[in-house]
Amino acid sequence: MTQEETIALFMDNAAKVAAEPIRVADGGAFQKALDDALAEADSIFCPAITEKEKAVQIAAEKRTEDYVSASVCVEEATAAIAETGSLVFSSQGGKPVQAGLLPAQHVAIVSSENIYETLDDYFSAIGASPPTNITLETGPSRTADIELTLTIGVHGPGRLTVIVF
Amino acid sequence: MSDSSSSIPFRANAATALRNSTLRAAMRNATETFTTKRADAVAAFPLEEWREQVSAMRLHVLDHLSDYVDRFERNAARSGAKVHRAKDSRAAREIIASILKDHSIGRVVKSKSMVSEEIHLNDYLQKEGITVVETDLGEYIIQIAGEGPSHIIVPAIHKDRRQVGKLFAEKLGCEYSDDPAILTGVAKKVLREEFLSAKAGISGANFAVADSGSIVIFTNEGNGRMCTTLPSLHIVILSIEKLIPSLADLPKFIRLLPRSATGQMITSYLSVITGSREPGESTGAQEMHIVLLDNGRSGIISGEYREMLKCIRCGACLNACPVYRMVGGHAYGSTYPGPMGIVLTALLEGMERAYNLLDATTLCGACGDVCPVKVPLPKLLRRLRASRVEQGLTSRTEQQAMAGFGKMMKSPMLFHLGQTAGHVLWPAIRGFGLDRTLGRMPRPVFKTFRERVS
Amino acid sequence: MRIQLFGTCLVDTMFPETGEATIRLLRHFGVEIGYPAGQTCCGKPAESGGYTRESRKAAEHFISVFEGTDGPIVIPSGSCASMVKNHYPELFKDDPLMRQKAEIIASRTYELTQFLVHVLKAHETGFLGNGRITYHASCQLTRELEVREEPLLLLQSIDGAEFVHLPHADRCCGFGGIFMAKLPEVSMALADEKLDTILSTGADTVTGGDHGCLMNIGDAIKRRGSAVQVKHIAAVLAEGLR
Repeated sequence: MTQEETIALFMDNAAKVAAEPIRVADGGAFQKALDDALAEADSIFCPAITEKEKAVQIAAEKRTEDYVSASVCVEEATAAIAETGSLVFSSQGGKPVQAGLLPAQHVAIVSSENIYETLDDYFSAIGASPPTNITLETGPSRTADIELTLTIGVHGPGRLTVIVF
Repeated sequence: MSDSSSSIPFRANAATALRNSTLRAAMRNATETFTTKRADAVAAFPLEEWREQVSAMRLHVLDHLSDYVDRFERNAARSGAKVHRAKDSRAAREIIASILKDHSIGRVVKSKSMVSEEIHLNDYLQKEGITVVETDLGEYIIQIAGEGPSHIIVPAIHKDRRQVGKLFAEKLGCEYSDDPAILTGVAKKVLREEFLSAKAGISGANFAVADSGSIVIFTNEGNGRMCTTLPSLHIVILSIEKLIPSLADLPKFIRLLPRSATGQMITSYLSVITGSREPGESTGAQEMHIVLLDNGRSGIISGEYREMLKCIRCGACLNACPVYRMVGGHAYGSTYPGPMGIVLTALLEGMERAYNLLDATTLCGACGDVCPVKVPLPKLLRRLRASRVEQGLTSRTEQQAMAGFGKMMKSPMLFHLGQTAGHVLWPAIRGFGLDRTLGRMPRPVFKTFRERVS
Repeated sequence: MRIQLFGTCLVDTMFPETGEATIRLLRHFGVEIGYPAGQTCCGKPAESGGYTRESRKAAEHFISVFEGTDGPIVIPSGSCASMVKNHYPELFKDDPLMRQKAEIIASRTYELTQFLVHVLKAHETGFLGNGRITYHASCQLTRELEVREEPLLLLQSIDGAEFVHLPHADRCCGFGGIFMAKLPEVSMALADEKLDTILSTGADTVTGGDHGCLMNIGDAIKRRGSAVQVKHIAAVLAEGLR
């Protein structure tokens, strides 16, 4: 499969799990997609650790350093997996993986070059000394514990948006 | 839970369950939904090939289990986790309690772990003055209700929304609602406070990876992640047969476990946790303990029931089982219900406790068909039944009847005599209150087929 | 051709008309039928209860009765045919001589619909009938013998009868051999549920390849006061011979 096909597969599968995937070609479109996703957010956390995260523009009055009380976390995913439409977050480089867990909305940005085709492709690449935490996130959090009725948004975010650049 | 020295009264439990129309409706809904979703989820895939691969991988691990456990321990320790080996339930409970007491911790958050139920951890910690807060929604519900899980994936499935609504209103003091979204919201609010203030989290693990010393947790709600990344102390309890060789082996299980359990392609979250927090990291417990539980598994590995240890706890066999469907999990009176539960209870708790559970199967074979790792459940159930007879645990009446039957099967003359006696004595046999058993069969005929063709 | 018929203990003792129908059916297709004297029971009731010693006795007797005969052994029961084909060799796994005998007997054995379809191609000839028929796929027939298509091919070849698929056809009816006696409450509940699915098809007849199941379903019909008829597939087909 070519990388273009892999990206298309990711977009398809991410949509199926309600991850609201958007693909953007340039910086302008990227910021616009971000602004759209963050439109209703009043307090936004961004780790600002990776280059792309540092480039994210957030209105100063909306930005917060506290991911516990933030209404949305916007961050870059380490990778994505097309087979399942999953995002991968890793604790490598000081990233706080739990920052994407606590707010009600999670906006993930991921480079199209970091999209793996299959689970095998990703897991074979990890090696024998993984970082402390690697988390695959596939869609919003959910439960069906009561009568098998689906409820979206339990302890983790109820809304996940993915911007592929 | 029930007295562990007496045998589980399955027939009485089942009869009670059958009279509970709420339970029956809940079980019918749940098992039909799961079996349909599972069938849909595997339909377009080379399921047989996948099953064969994971079955072979599981058998390979079982063949070399102690090497894999050693390797896991080394690598987990290398990554900063403290590994403890617990021979049995009591050892595991004591290890966990002492870790918590050493840190003066009186309250822990917990994500779902069937093995923690197996060792009766919560009751023990409670007695030791440590409060356990279950955070998986289903576990939270049954904890409030004071019950045990009735399904290994959806513990509160035996309750309908009205029952949960009433429970929350009574025990949590909130306004009554039977809307699952509202009820989930209530639990979410309560538990968020717990997560944020917790000093310790206890979790299970779906798998442990030997090469990297990692544990793997599949969840949908996010509570597993909360319990394992927010508190500074993380304790994992898992049983030794959950080992897989390396992370590269994980995808095969990722493809089969969620599909078999709930019909999902993958759970919302999948965490691979390797040791405690490293310098420069912002995620991870400061201190991580892994309790590796044996509790009889080393004994099972070398025996004729070893294939039961391939089980990856998906619950597909429960959903497929006609008996489980009818009566739900509590009737089995044990940590593990359904087909896998019958086998595990017999193996882990002994035949004296489990022998009635062996009646709880029609040997229809549906369980064996859906098991993703090809545990030969019907074969194991048959073997256990034979073992039950060998141990003299069937009723004297049954043994005598079978002995008589054996003679009749070997001797045509006795067989024909038996048929005649059956025909003649039928009204009397029915009169012995055997309406529900022999009474549901028609009367033996006067002229048998043999007599008509000879 | 000549076959050896094993009637089964249920047919012999309670449902002789099925045995007679089986004979009519096979003779219609030009088959000569031997009925070895001294046959009793295949031993399934003992085997399913875990009484290995007693089921071995039954198996030894079955083998001794049939080994002196020639030709295919035909059995109008999925559970008995599976007992012979799948479990007999297993019963003698530690006895090479008996195991070999068991394997020979097993290889000669056919369940009735297997024989009708694969050897006699009876579904190509077809049958006559009327009414609406549905089919319960009994457990050992379906899962142990993997006989899934054969009964359907036969029933769908009945001209004049409407065949309708039973929802969850291969779901256990609750007979389970000794299960029916040891957990009668669950057995009856399962039979009731099976009857619910049968009634949902509007069929006037339910058929199947195993009298154990049919007996359990028949009991549910009686308790419900339903008018649905229960017939072994041999009887259904024997009533419609062209």
